Amino acid sequence: MTTNNSRGAGSASPAKEQKRYYEDVQVGDALPELVKEPVTHLQLVRYAGASGDFNPLHTDPKVGEEIGTGGIIAHGMLIMGFVGQLLSDYVGPEALRKFGVRFKGMTHLGDVITCSGTITEKYEAEGEARIAGKVQAADQNGDVKVVGTFVAALPRRGA
Amino acid sequence: MFDTSKIGQSFPPFTIAVERSKVHELALAIGDTNPIYHSREAAQASGYQDVPLSPTAPTIFQFWGNTAQADQLRNAGISVERILHAEEEFDYHAPIYPGDTLTGVTTIISGKGRKMRDGSSMDVVTTETRYTNQQQQHVLSARTTIVVREEGEQK
Repeated sequence: MTTNNSRGAGSASPAKEQKRYYEDVQVGDALPELVKEPVTHLQLVRYAGASGDFNPLHTDPKVGEEIGTGGIIAHGMLIMGFVGQLLSDYVGPEALRKFGVRFKGMTHLGDVITCSGTITEKYEAEGEARIAGKVQAADQNGDVKVVGTFVAALPRRGA
Repeated sequence: MFDTSKIGQSFPPFTIAVERSKVHELALAIGDTNPIYHSREAAQASGYQDVPLSPTAPTIFQFWGNTAQADQLRNAGISVERILHAEEEFDYHAPIYPGDTLTGVTTIISGKGRKMRDGSSMDVVTTETRYTNQQQQHVLSARTTIVVREEGEQK
């Protein structure tokens, strides 16, 4: 079997189960919000093992108290992962071309994170029809944990 | 304070095999129940060649692919015990699937130190890891910006 991984003109995978076409998305559109379950200690232990980030400030309550973070705090990358789920639900993982975030605040156990986003741009680049947007994750008090941007390539209808 | 002569320094390449079970495990931890991340059959039914990477799955490559990273950063003069993760950015150049073998090369691409009034210092350092697959195709870049607080010298 041969595979061609290159992404040239018109290769935005129209064969995939298509979530969205370029024509369906408009600047100003909001992504459907994603509300996550409260963050748990078990989840952080799981995330440590899955990601390989074993920094004890994410898993050991004693360390969390010692360094003054008010208990253990979530991996920033877990919260980015929540936002990644928002994007994956919206365009599918292989449509993404760029995804970047800044970490703005610490997430504690029990926090309920809501991920949201907005489309900011539609344009053509490298032979692809692309959308760009901004995303964020905030807790139940509206405190922002993560802000970021993304770029995705979408197929055109009838292409 | 960060030694700016370290900018441009690359660490030895590391390799990592992309595994379906790790993608599944990370999606479980995130709580993403999309079946494409949990079963090859479900992924193929949705038109993927195999289980695709979730958007933040490259973090697995960074930590599990290069378990020497903390020591490498320490040797470059960065106090890894005092790191805060400030920014993360991925450029996705081509699909990555289970069975691929990736080679990553991490380079310190920027860094600066700032002396604070209390004698402590704050360093901001960005590394970029460039991943190529077994066909030498550049498939992914990951940029990580960390902030390191250093206490001042005792007088």
